[in-house]
Amino acid sequence: MNTVIIVNLNGIAFHLEEPGFQTLRNYLDGAQAQLAANPDKAEIMSDLEQAIADKCSHYLGPHKNVVTSADIDRVIAQMGPVQTEAADTAAASGAAPEAAAQPGTAKNTSPGPSVRRLYQIREGAMISGVCTGIAAYLDVDVTVVRILFALFAILTYGLGVVVYIGMMLVIPFANTSEEHAAATGAPFNAQQVIDRAKKHYAEFKDSKEWRQHWREQRREWRRKWRTERLWWGTNFQRNMYQFRSGTGYAGQIIAGLMLPFLAIGNTLLSCALLASIVILASTGSLLGWHPSDSMPLWAAVLVLLIVFGALSSPFRHARKAIYFNQSSYSLFWFTAWYEAISLALFAGVCWLGYTHIPEVHAFFENFVENMRTMWLNILNSVQHSAQHIAAISRA
Amino acid sequence: MTPDQKFNAIRKGLLEFLILKIISADKVYVADMMKRLDATDFATQEGTLYPLLSKMRREELVDYEWQESEAGPPRKYYQLTAKGKSQLAEFADYWNYLNTTINQLGR
Repeated sequence: MNTVIIVNLNGIAFHLEEPGFQTLRNYLDGAQAQLAANPDKAEIMSDLEQAIADKCSHYLGPHKNVVTSADIDRVIAQMGPVQTEAADTAAASGAAPEAAAQPGTAKNTSPGPSVRRLYQIREGAMISGVCTGIAAYLDVDVTVVRILFALFAILTYGLGVVVYIGMMLVIPFANTSEEHAAATGAPFNAQQVIDRAKKHYAEFKDSKEWRQHWREQRREWRRKWRTERLWWGTNFQRNMYQFRSGTGYAGQIIAGLMLPFLAIGNTLLSCALLASIVILASTGSLLGWHPSDSMPLWAAVLVLLIVFGALSSPFRHARKAIYFNQSSYSLFWFTAWYEAISLALFAGVCWLGYTHIPEVHAFFENFVENMRTMWLNILNSVQHSAQHIAAISRA
Repeated sequence: MTPDQKFNAIRKGLLEFLILKIISADKVYVADMMKRLDATDFATQEGTLYPLLSKMRREELVDYEWQESEAGPPRKYYQLTAKGKSQLAEFADYWNYLNTTINQLGR
């Protein structure tokens, strides 16, 4: 014989044997304690009581209207211990503290723990390790980075070299193994984008039609390029040469005075080009031009480069004409003079932008991150085109 | 630590997403969810599920509405919010990514 206690479980009365009542009380008290800090404590408690009530009624029938202690033990075994996040982490400490769900969801969904940082990596470096570091940061082949860097340096007439030297001085070396880990980093979200881009690029490269098309296109471009160069080259160099050879020493002075103007023109154009590419690649539009309607981002950047090439070619050829036929001694000083002006001017423009234009300031403040965003935007557009072409060739 | 204990830690972390997945199919109440999970390695109990669901509701991943049932008191039927849907999609992507990573590493 056992004493029976009547309890109210979420609005329904149950007859419990006394030991069972104690067990249940302990269970619910334990749950209360577990949920002490939980803002939804009352709601969870009533949910639990409801669930217990449901289970208890399974053990009742027309000839049994008391829930026995054994029934309660079974019910509680079915319910399982009340666990919250905090209890989880405490229980699993040593096992996998991070894995046992932190309260924030962002932590659970963000792939990989560490933040990637840009370092210089000496292993496999050609000069100082800037390119290897960038390659590790973006997880692309170092050769690609080197080629792009070289292209950038050629296109900007040596500015790339200055940028390289600047990065060499500013970016820290990865020395410790943690720094190496942070340089290559655990994969981040963008990693998937790059992986996908790589994969699609591989498919894209292998498709036959594309290769043939590309070959024809290249032939076409080369022909155009040759005629254009011939035209500009012969005209300008002939004119400038006549001008210089006719004037002798005075001509050299005039040439020396002219160089700054060429430097100014060329540097301003370069700045405009860089700014245009940055704006286009990060916002997708430029001065009301939305290339995304008619062409992918990478093509728009290419168009900018070609326009820049065309606009700057008079400066380029004029300079070549001045250098043409100079003795190596004066050529050295002309070059140094020109580069010095260009660099000073470039630095000046950057500084003015940094101090006076908030957008430029913001860009430089978060330079690496912004460059990565741009780079990923362009990669994305390449990937889209690749998909498009792959879809066409499949059809 | 036995392998099963180690796997347990993994399962614990995944439970939330399995619940998102179950709810994504249809409105369900807790007993339904447990029935679905019982058939799997992820079998769980009310003591774990209720606190987890309340946490997910606080994070606005799920929401519930009361519905009368033929037998017994009204039940809470859970459904996904927009945020819950996007988190589920994110999780599915990440899961695929993890799978490829795990398969690619080592042999």
